[in-house]
Amino acid sequence: MATSEEITEAYADWRARCNANDRLRRMLRGWDRVVHLSATDNGAGFTVVVKGQTLAELVEGLVGQPDLVVTATSEDFADMFWGDLNPSEKYMSGEIVLRGSQEDVMRLDAMSMVAFLDQ
Amino acid sequence: MTDEVRECEVLVVGAGYAGLSAARHLASHGVDVVLVEARDRVGGRVWTETTSSGAVVDHGGQWVGPGQDNLLALAEEFEVATFPTYTTGEGVEIRQGVRRTYAGLIPTSDPAAAAEGIEAIFELDLASQEVPLEAPWNAPEAAAQDEQTLGSWLTAHVQSVPARSMIDAAVKAVFGTEAGEMSLLYALFYLHAGGGLMNLARTTGGAQERRFTGGAQQFALRMAEELGDRIVLSSPVESIDYGDDSVSATLSSPDGPSTVQARRVVVAMPPALAGRLRWSPALPALRDQLSMRAPMGAVSKYHAVYERPFWRDQGLNGQLVADDGALRVTFDDSPPDGSLGILVGFVAGHECRQFEGLSEEERHKVVLDDLMRAFGPEAGAPVELHEQRWCDEPYTRGGPVAVFTPGLLTGCGVALRQPVGPIHWAGTETAVEWCGYIDGALSSGLRAAGEVLAALGR
Repeated sequence: MATSEEITEAYADWRARCNANDRLRRMLRGWDRVVHLSATDNGAGFTVVVKGQTLAELVEGLVGQPDLVVTATSEDFADMFWGDLNPSEKYMSGEIVLRGSQEDVMRLDAMSMVAFLDQ
Repeated sequence: MTDEVRECEVLVVGAGYAGLSAARHLASHGVDVVLVEARDRVGGRVWTETTSSGAVVDHGGQWVGPGQDNLLALAEEFEVATFPTYTTGEGVEIRQGVRRTYAGLIPTSDPAAAAEGIEAIFELDLASQEVPLEAPWNAPEAAAQDEQTLGSWLTAHVQSVPARSMIDAAVKAVFGTEAGEMSLLYALFYLHAGGGLMNLARTTGGAQERRFTGGAQQFALRMAEELGDRIVLSSPVESIDYGDDSVSATLSSPDGPSTVQARRVVVAMPPALAGRLRWSPALPALRDQLSMRAPMGAVSKYHAVYERPFWRDQGLNGQLVADDGALRVTFDDSPPDGSLGILVGFVAGHECRQFEGLSEEERHKVVLDDLMRAFGPEAGAPVELHEQRWCDEPYTRGGPVAVFTPGLLTGCGVALRQPVGPIHWAGTETAVEWCGYIDGALSSGLRAAGEVLAALGR
């Protein structure tokens, strides 16, 4: 299990890499969204806001109306943000689940894979 | 010779999933319907065989995924169970002659190439959302997109060779054709209709997520059972004469020619097949031009049956992505209990046509060599090897779906579903959701049946 502090720290690292990645910035154009992260094991919740092709800092708790909900274990969230986990592997096994409109799911799916590949 | 004449209200031509769903819907509304089929079986591009080793082999359409609600509803109605495609473990990538394994959706041995490939697929999927499903020719960039091919777009947008070959493998598996053979606008429409290329290439969460216990043809058999003697098998339609509110179709049946007279007809065939019927009067030029511009893709399907799914012991999930060879994509197609091991693979596009020059023995050797290269020597000695060459099927002429060439959608797309007098068009090629899939075939049949009911004032 990963603590909220660990996830926040890992996210900060991931966010810095994502916001510095030109390919990812291109992929985020026109996509301002609220994403909720919901940990299955310890019930922790976080909110990620994407605005102006930039990922905002992680907010603890499920804030606002989400466009997308990502469900995974706290450990997987931490590993994904550290870049140690191939998200497409976890989608395939059903361990990470994305819920939202088809387009939003496709967007997050693609950008999380690029974030993993382009590190 | 005296022709047998059968009269009915509505004739449906083609007992694939489109024709069956149209006929069933009409019959349920009390319409006197006759469904004629050229083959001696129903199901069209869906055909399940149980082989001597007990393997259930789907020679055609076989998977079901989220959002395919028409097909899922049939499964529920007929109480047919689904089970997930086996995805545990790693896939095999063969790139420039080197074999590697990979986890997840796409090979990651060259991360920069993989990222570029993902971005390209992302851009295609994003652009696809802009194409209106009911009228792709009204897309904001329809003219520019319909004068180029998917291949020319990829050439302009994907620099890295590995990224391009990864996308080409996916395109071949999804469309059964080369990216350079189809209109970009059509490709975008098709992707939108199926939720995007990423979705169409996926197992979990995508179009290959699940399979049916007992195979995908059983719904066709069940619907045919319901329709009973309304179905006429082994009777290809040769010609259709039509007036304002009448049709007369000549069939060549085993017992000689026969005629079916009806008030309306639903033609549930791919455009390339509908276009070669003898129509009297001739079809409007726009419709005829459409038929001539929609060739079928080229695909053959191979099932290698083994005593057990030996690749699972090596931590492999049975998926292959290759940038050369004949077999570019495979999946694990074993029964849910793993009592047999089955690999299913596709030979598509140029490779499929190149195979036409080889003997059966030569083709099988190439396929087994490709399987051995990916999964080891055990793969070379299957108990059974099944080959289904859709290009050799006179009543399909290729597969899995028609390929719309540049200019078709913007030039004659409006004729795709537009009835001609008493003639209504069905078939997965006319679907606005899941075009090319069983689900699209089902919805197209329902849509055409609805048109007919309205025309009959029912």
